[in-house]
Amino acid sequence: MNKLAWLMWGALALGCGGRPSSWDTPYAAGSGQSGHAAAHGLSGSVAVLDTSLKRVTMLSSPSTLELTSHSIGLGTDLVATQVSADRNTLFALSRGVQPQRTPNDERPQLLLIDGGTTPQVSKTYTLTEPMEQLVLDPQNEWAVVYGGSGVVVNLNELVLVNLHESGTDALSFKTLLSFGGNPRRFTFTAPLAIPGGEPRRFLIVERDSDLVLIDLAAPEREAVTVPLPSTDSGGTASSAQVVYDADSASIAVRVTGTTSVFMLQLAAPATAGQDFSVVTNLVDVGGQSTAIDFVHNSQGLRLVALVGGSAVLVDPDTATTQSVQMPAAFSGIRRITSELNSGAMPTADGDVALLYGPSITKIAYFNLSGAPGALFRSIEAYDIGVPVKNVIDVPGERYFDHKILETPNQQFYVLDLRTRESAPMKTNGGLTLEVAPDGERVWAYNPGQPGFASVDFENLHPVSLIAERQVSNVFDIETADGQRTAVALHLAGSAGIGATVLDAFSPSTAYARFYSGLELGGVQ
Amino acid sequence: MNARFGLASGLMVAFSLLSGIARAEPLAPHQPYAQASLGVRVSKVSDAGYDPFASSDELTQVSLGLGGTLLRYQRFSLAAIGFWDYGAKSSTARGSATELDVHRLTIGPEARYHLLPPLYFFVHALPAFAHTSASLEDGVAGVTRYARHWSYGVDAAAGAAFEVYAARSGAVRPRIWAIAEGGYGYLGSTSLEMQPDAGEGPQRPAPVDLGTLSLSGPYLRVSAAVGF
Repeated sequence: MNKLAWLMWGALALGCGGRPSSWDTPYAAGSGQSGHAAAHGLSGSVAVLDTSLKRVTMLSSPSTLELTSHSIGLGTDLVATQVSADRNTLFALSRGVQPQRTPNDERPQLLLIDGGTTPQVSKTYTLTEPMEQLVLDPQNEWAVVYGGSGVVVNLNELVLVNLHESGTDALSFKTLLSFGGNPRRFTFTAPLAIPGGEPRRFLIVERDSDLVLIDLAAPEREAVTVPLPSTDSGGTASSAQVVYDADSASIAVRVTGTTSVFMLQLAAPATAGQDFSVVTNLVDVGGQSTAIDFVHNSQGLRLVALVGGSAVLVDPDTATTQSVQMPAAFSGIRRITSELNSGAMPTADGDVALLYGPSITKIAYFNLSGAPGALFRSIEAYDIGVPVKNVIDVPGERYFDHKILETPNQQFYVLDLRTRESAPMKTNGGLTLEVAPDGERVWAYNPGQPGFASVDFENLHPVSLIAERQVSNVFDIETADGQRTAVALHLAGSAGIGATVLDAFSPSTAYARFYSGLELGGVQ
Repeated sequence: MNARFGLASGLMVAFSLLSGIARAEPLAPHQPYAQASLGVRVSKVSDAGYDPFASSDELTQVSLGLGGTLLRYQRFSLAAIGFWDYGAKSSTARGSATELDVHRLTIGPEARYHLLPPLYFFVHALPAFAHTSASLEDGVAGVTRYARHWSYGVDAAAGAAFEVYAARSGAVRPRIWAIAEGGYGYLGSTSLEMQPDAGEGPQRPAPVDLGTLSLSGPYLRVSAAVGF
């Protein structure tokens, strides 16, 4: 009887057994509408999200024209992914299994993946509750997660993650006192030199009608809430922009609906038990400003507010203002002093700012250096024929004095700040720009089209390339042997993950290699 | 205990009766000079390399066989046999269509023992040669990729054949056999680096590496044979 059963089992066993369900799960390219992009470029790898398998496929390059893939599991119910400012780390926030039914159900987590030439998980922070929003510190010291979707959600509860720590020691739970507002924007400051204490970094949380200052040196201390002023008509104002000056511990807030700029000065403690005090001031700049920033001129620190066709300089100490007529109604300002003051150049006695705007065709160099008593030295305006919607920095040490002017049209400009020469680049389609992390070149492409191009900053020579398939992203990554590889991704629907791989230093489709089926690696 | 005793007693009685029949009927006409078979082979392939091409582990193949008795000694005989097994599987790998064609050729000796004239048992160990053609529809490259390889191994099996029909007259008296065998088929692993055919698809395509494929595994074969 036993033998008969054994034989039957043996016969059945021939037909039993299946394959992992992963093989039946099609790849689906992310659309970016779900809170995370389909792919991210890191320093030494490209991360392609494969959310249907709860993983990310990391593409890295052992040497030029070579591409390998390696999949890393992400948490269940991924809600946000971001890359650190230095492009070395991919952050992935997931909600875990919800609702939790067993003690072994996966918890919400924040996963950090090293995006170098050998991608791997570097840290995992387990959260107590599912959160959906992720904010990263540009200096890579902190991350903030907040905003859940539970039965009851405290919208003003932040979880501060100290990225230098591990485990639960890294987590600080912070509930902001609220008068009805919710967090809308976050600014991590550089160390602010507060009188009477060590420089300390702050997290500035912009809410609907107030600002919250969180001392990152002591996040457990009570945060300081500063109400925003009302609009000129008496209504509720909201912040539109926050800027700060580290040396003077000054913060300025551009507020909607008012002609005033809200100034905050972090000062020495006023009472016992305080680490600092906050002195506020409201300065009327004569109109609603479109951009603000702190600058230095020969007289000291000034806040520049762009108001219509004027720039208004505000002395933070005295709240006195001086207005300068501008050649156009600029609405964007970017300090470029450090880009101009390299070791080979003498240090200027005032800042230089680049002015631009998305509705004007002029740019201007606003030079604030000059003899004591002078308001400014010069405004040099250039009509480049197209508006500028964004100014993109160039990293690295070689072409840090270049800026890329992104326009709303099919053009971009490479601007040499030293020579003040601009090189217009015209494209035949839409435009997405990707500056190489080594700062040697910029890649331009139009997602969904096969064409893309590289512009080398050394000679501003564009190399146009036509891939054999439609390009969705272009990334420039370091190879394991110290070279650089350009990866033009082909992500479309459920077809899979493909890439055309080129030598970034001398890109040519005559030597490019074509990779596909990358979504099939590591299926288990 | 009583049931087991009864079963054993019954089998002994049946064996004695059948042995009597065997003594009464000459054995030689039942040891076929030549035999051709048509059947089905079902293998269980548990190798992970098989997963992209099949949603389950079985591989079903049509099986054609030829054999001839070389030596006879009383109830024992030695035959030379060969099989050609062919089967195909198709599936999808994460949405991309896949297909696997398998040809398997085995040839070698088979030892037979006639328990009764119409019933013999056999064992064989046959060197095997297999050709696999795996394909993958690459939706990004817009091309079909292939991995085509030969692999080698051995099929070891044991089974039984029962004569279900025998012509009683005529110059040629065909006999029909029902045959069943089970065993293990070993085949070496082959690479699944999928490449498009030359000139197809994008320039300089890197292979899609799906690992390796081994079609080793236990199998069953049932077939009908005609012998002379």
